[in-house]
Amino acid sequence: MSNVIQTPTLLAAAITTALLAGCAGQTTSEAVAAPAAEKSMAAAPMAMAGPAPLAPLGEPPIPADNLQSPAKIELGKILFFDPRLGGDASTGCSTCHEPDQGWAWAEDFSRGYPGTVHWRNSQTIINSAYFPRQFWAGSASSNESQARGAARGGVAGNGEADIMEARLRVIPEYVERFREAFGTQWPIIRDAWRAIASFERTLVQRDTPLDKYLLGDKSALNADELKGKELFEGKAGCIQCHNGAITSDQDFHNIGIPPNKRWEEDGLAQITFRFEQYAKGQTQEGYRKAKSDWGFYYRSKNAWDKGKFRTAPLRYLKYTAPYMHNGVFYTLEEVVDFYDRGGFDEDGRTTLFPENKSSLIKPLGLTDDEKDALIAFLESMSGEEMLMDKPAMPEYAPLFTLAELEAAQEAK
Amino acid sequence: MGVRVKTGHTLLAATLGLGMAFGAQAGKYPDITSLPDLKINAAKAELGKRLFFDRRISGDAGIACSDCHKPENAYSHPDALSPGYPGNGHFRNSPSVINAAHKKVWMHDGRLGTNLNDVTREMLTEDYIMNMDMRVMQERAKQDPKYVQMFKDAGYGEPSNGSIRKAIPEYLKTLTSVNAPIDTGKMSASAKRGQKLFKGKAGCIQCHNGPLATDGKAYNTGVPENFDIFLDPMNHHAFIAFAMFQGIEDYMNLKRDPGYYNITMDAADTGKFVTPSLRELKYSAPYMHNGMIKSLYDVVGFYNRGGGKDSRKDSRLKPLKLGKQDIKDLVAFLESMSGDPLTSGKHVWKGPYPAEYPVIENWTQVKN
Repeated sequence: MSNVIQTPTLLAAAITTALLAGCAGQTTSEAVAAPAAEKSMAAAPMAMAGPAPLAPLGEPPIPADNLQSPAKIELGKILFFDPRLGGDASTGCSTCHEPDQGWAWAEDFSRGYPGTVHWRNSQTIINSAYFPRQFWAGSASSNESQARGAARGGVAGNGEADIMEARLRVIPEYVERFREAFGTQWPIIRDAWRAIASFERTLVQRDTPLDKYLLGDKSALNADELKGKELFEGKAGCIQCHNGAITSDQDFHNIGIPPNKRWEEDGLAQITFRFEQYAKGQTQEGYRKAKSDWGFYYRSKNAWDKGKFRTAPLRYLKYTAPYMHNGVFYTLEEVVDFYDRGGFDEDGRTTLFPENKSSLIKPLGLTDDEKDALIAFLESMSGEEMLMDKPAMPEYAPLFTLAELEAAQEAK
Repeated sequence: MGVRVKTGHTLLAATLGLGMAFGAQAGKYPDITSLPDLKINAAKAELGKRLFFDRRISGDAGIACSDCHKPENAYSHPDALSPGYPGNGHFRNSPSVINAAHKKVWMHDGRLGTNLNDVTREMLTEDYIMNMDMRVMQERAKQDPKYVQMFKDAGYGEPSNGSIRKAIPEYLKTLTSVNAPIDTGKMSASAKRGQKLFKGKAGCIQCHNGPLATDGKAYNTGVPENFDIFLDPMNHHAFIAFAMFQGIEDYMNLKRDPGYYNITMDAADTGKFVTPSLRELKYSAPYMHNGMIKSLYDVVGFYNRGGGKDSRKDSRLKPLKLGKQDIKDLVAFLESMSGDPLTSGKHVWKGPYPAEYPVIENWTQVKN
């Protein structure tokens, strides 16, 4: 929250810095030199120094209360792919985060629980280990809490803790694996989220062309990509929010994304739309009149946060189309055109809360060549596609033998 | 609960004092008389009917109330154990919901004792039953123009989850016994002989009394465990989730259904289940809380042997020494408490449901 309140201050600082540097959105040499910026994993914008520079990705942070172990990671991998971690045993993490769909879901809205559709775009798991905030409105602060939230959400996993925990306990291989990883007699659902988080902390990509370049391999980016980098850091101003090693300031901005037209055309999507207003604690008036996703407002309840979303990290985006919180753009060309127009789509549509639109978003005047270069640079933030075969799912088995049950009956 | 246990002891003392002369005390128990008429709001009941048969009021839109409470089975299910929600099984028999509106206590272990609104909520939201987020349910109803009209006609205004929990109980009121011989008086000679046994030598009336043929109390009759609860992991994990949620200790090691113990947490109540109504038995096989007895003959045989084996079994259960004809007569009487099947359009929603949710036109301009 404090970040949000500080935003105008930061913005002012950024503008001041920019003015001093004599070029909009320029990364200053001071910022590059600032040791704090290098230390900052999450890359929250430095109050006095303008946006954090792009940086190679380091080791992912590992929380002290959930250290990595091979047993935990392997367990987490199986759980990630297990559809039984959801209400009707059909919808697990990988259902909406498919490895061959960029560890996301290649439609505008995530597929959602059977009988529903989601209302936001599924984000990639790759590099999620680095994000201090997760979900589009930042409502989870760790991979652990993201996993829990997604498994339980009414239009996501729709699973309740007790049935999911009970399910794990009648799968002997899980009982063994949880015991090995956590030392408990029986699987505990909280540990499932911890194991999944540990697995996700292995899904990182640190060898992109950009990383190689930033680490000193000057041949890692070609001329086009370098031109794109210059635009990214300069004329196009992307770096003002997409900065630091994770290419996101992890702050909330309204960049002018228009509502997804699917809400006007799809009955199932309309159901979820109203459900979300209801579930996220809208006022009666807000529930009645909302016609777009109010984003960070649902958490802060401040009018000025309507239509703000957490800055999306740009790494791995080559494989994660469509883009934006509601998936309205299917190509990077559309994305760049949108920014070039100053936050309008090709039909001139923009956010329903223009009063909250970031002043950083304005027409960029990019030429076609510049757009191409920018896209080339954006793609250099992705390395090879990371694919993975689904592990074999451990099977259910009875906990008791017939003889044990008969003996218990005898002893009644 | 102390009161209920004491009642049992008092009855037991009386029984022992009178030996086998049950007939002499039959008058102590309320007769199985006709059920009182219920005031029903037709529009609300009609709405409840459409909801009862609508799969869209479960989490994944996979099952309706009527999938476990099937009209052709007297609104119960022919399997020993109810199917439960997709992705899990269940651990108890689905009871008939005919006459449910007349009950004062619901569920085999008697854990609900308030009203059908609460029962409906429990069935809709329980994760191993319908797993419905009622906020999603409400918005689904609002997306179906037929519902929008029906809620309005019923005086509920726009669809809401609160009204859904009122409309379904209103519909359940329409599911009451119709033309049961015991109510019409058109009982066969055999059934009449069975009725005498029921009140006398067989002693059934001690628990199965009043208009529903149940005293609404819980007893241990020694019904054998249904091992499928534990041998089938789909059922077992539903059972574990249930027992965990209810706060029953050592739930991972339970090898039996604790029954009424769930309510009192008193070991003496382990294995007790609420006396079921005997109305509409004809089509609601199998029987008992876990469906362990397949036919009415077998049920009578079970009691004729003095019930099952359990150290906490109600001590009034003794071998009854009924002859073959007695058993036939008792079954005939039991069947005389069943009326006409409620399978016509009067009770069953036969209309279609839309294959897709129609879009609300002009969405950006209308209020949600």
